[in-house]
Amino acid sequence: MRKFALMAVLVFLGGAFLPGLARDASASISLEKCTLCHGKPEFRKLLVDGRIRDLYVTGDTLAGSVHEKKVCTDCHFDVSEIPHRERPKRVACTHCHFKGNREGAPQSDNVLAYFDSVHGTAIARGNTKAPLCQDCHGSHQILKVKNPESKVSRFKVAETCGRCHMEIYAKYKTSIHGVALSKGIADAPSCTGCHGEHRIYAHTDPKSTVYSTHVSGQCSKCHSSVSIMSKFGIETEQVATYKESFHGVANQFGSRTVANCSSCHGVHDIRPPDDPLSSVNPKNIPKTCGKCHPGANPNFAVGKIHVDAKKKESGIIYWTATFFKWLTIGTMLALVAHIFLDMYGRTRRLRGER
Amino acid sequence: MSRGDLAAVKVTRMSLLFRIQHLLLTVLLTVLAVTGFALMYHENSLAQWIIRLEGGVHNRGIVHRIAAVLLMANLVYHVFYMLFSREGKPELRQLFFTRRDFDDFLQSLRYNLGTAKEYPRFGKYGYKEKFQYWGASVGILLIGFTGFMLWAEEFSMVFFPKVVLDLALIVHGYQGLLGFVLLYLWHIYNVHLHPSVFPMNPSWITGKVSAEWLRREHPLEYEKLEEEGLL
Repeated sequence: MRKFALMAVLVFLGGAFLPGLARDASASISLEKCTLCHGKPEFRKLLVDGRIRDLYVTGDTLAGSVHEKKVCTDCHFDVSEIPHRERPKRVACTHCHFKGNREGAPQSDNVLAYFDSVHGTAIARGNTKAPLCQDCHGSHQILKVKNPESKVSRFKVAETCGRCHMEIYAKYKTSIHGVALSKGIADAPSCTGCHGEHRIYAHTDPKSTVYSTHVSGQCSKCHSSVSIMSKFGIETEQVATYKESFHGVANQFGSRTVANCSSCHGVHDIRPPDDPLSSVNPKNIPKTCGKCHPGANPNFAVGKIHVDAKKKESGIIYWTATFFKWLTIGTMLALVAHIFLDMYGRTRRLRGER
Repeated sequence: MSRGDLAAVKVTRMSLLFRIQHLLLTVLLTVLAVTGFALMYHENSLAQWIIRLEGGVHNRGIVHRIAAVLLMANLVYHVFYMLFSREGKPELRQLFFTRRDFDDFLQSLRYNLGTAKEYPRFGKYGYKEKFQYWGASVGILLIGFTGFMLWAEEFSMVFFPKVVLDLALIVHGYQGLLGFVLLYLWHIYNVHLHPSVFPMNPSWITGKVSAEWLRREHPLEYEKLEEEGLL
């Protein structure tokens, strides 16, 4: 009986493993077989909407990419016969890219972060236009992010996002950050600098790095850094003065309607204040403030917006604050002195009466 | 009358209406100070706790403004009362600063330092009370005016540039602090911690003080009452 059980287990295990072994042994479909058709430069498909899908692939397609040692069916594993009758499904990178994989793919939870993001949840809801990994990272020519040619490299990622977010990309490109980046200034933020990489959420989502109460923290990552800002001659106390202002305090205590950095300076279209198109150009300030303060007039532009009462440059505000500070200290000292004198005198008076 | 009898005789120092005004002032100033300083020192963890207790910055602002409006109403009532009522008019006359108050102040200083033999003799209101009264009045007016400017910021900015509002904010905050300092180091000392009244001068609740206390601290008022036969 025991022998029978052992046999049964062996047969079962064999049944489980042998097909797998057989599949490994066939080492999937070789590249040559795919390029029989895909290797012809004119191999393409005319889509219903008139666009053309280029299906030309050669042995060099993966060359130089991080997947250069892979073959077609490592990713397009649903192709099991040639010619394949149906269009292969979109590649699922999660096949290899998950934490604990044994394929040698980088160990990271980015995939999980993505599934939680606005893009991942859109995919999960069935939005076919939402991006999968390959829509940002590229399909065949995937390069490491440090490689400047990579679609997700610092200097290229905005263009990649812009393929879908066209209007925003157009605004960003002419903004101070976009212009700086196009000049090769690596300190300037691209889309991912503010929105995050895999953890991108809608700005209305409290998890978002650009949620209204997170904006100032996000801007301050660079704008409160003297080492970054000194390169461009930009002041670094703007964040601190904002946090001291009515707007900043309300924002820190969770108000979602109060102005944050981008309410005044713009979001994707941030420009330096001396730019006539800037929302914080003195000429445009009444209009910008008027978004929340109806009837805002040029008075809003008179005087510094980011005021620090502790700095001499603030002029009358500094002097008033200093005056009050010393007046208060002086009053305190005078009153304390008066109290002690009064007590001393009183004891003498009482002694005299006795 | 012996001293023991004098201690038993009570003299009215604050009428009921004054006590109500004073109580309102006490409560409202406390509310204003708690809500105001919580905002002024918002990075302090105690202040943050208070703001949370008040239901966030938005509700904190509402509480602060309700208290401010009530305080202004109290002030307006007080002004009318002092200017036009039978009880208020003579009170106000006794509250004006005179040359004598300055002399009294100097004399008390000299006496306390040991160069004068006599301690000044005060009427109903000595320089301490007058200083407190007018200090609080000017402070409340200034703080009320700047507070209103900041409250109606869109209205104020029709007339003033932003820098004036920044200034108003500074004045409002620091004036609050100065008022608070005065309240604690002057008023609390005079009516609570001063050995003659410790632990407190009961007149703000009962309206009455003992004749003995009056004789010691406000001898001129005592003599006046004695002359009028009111004791």
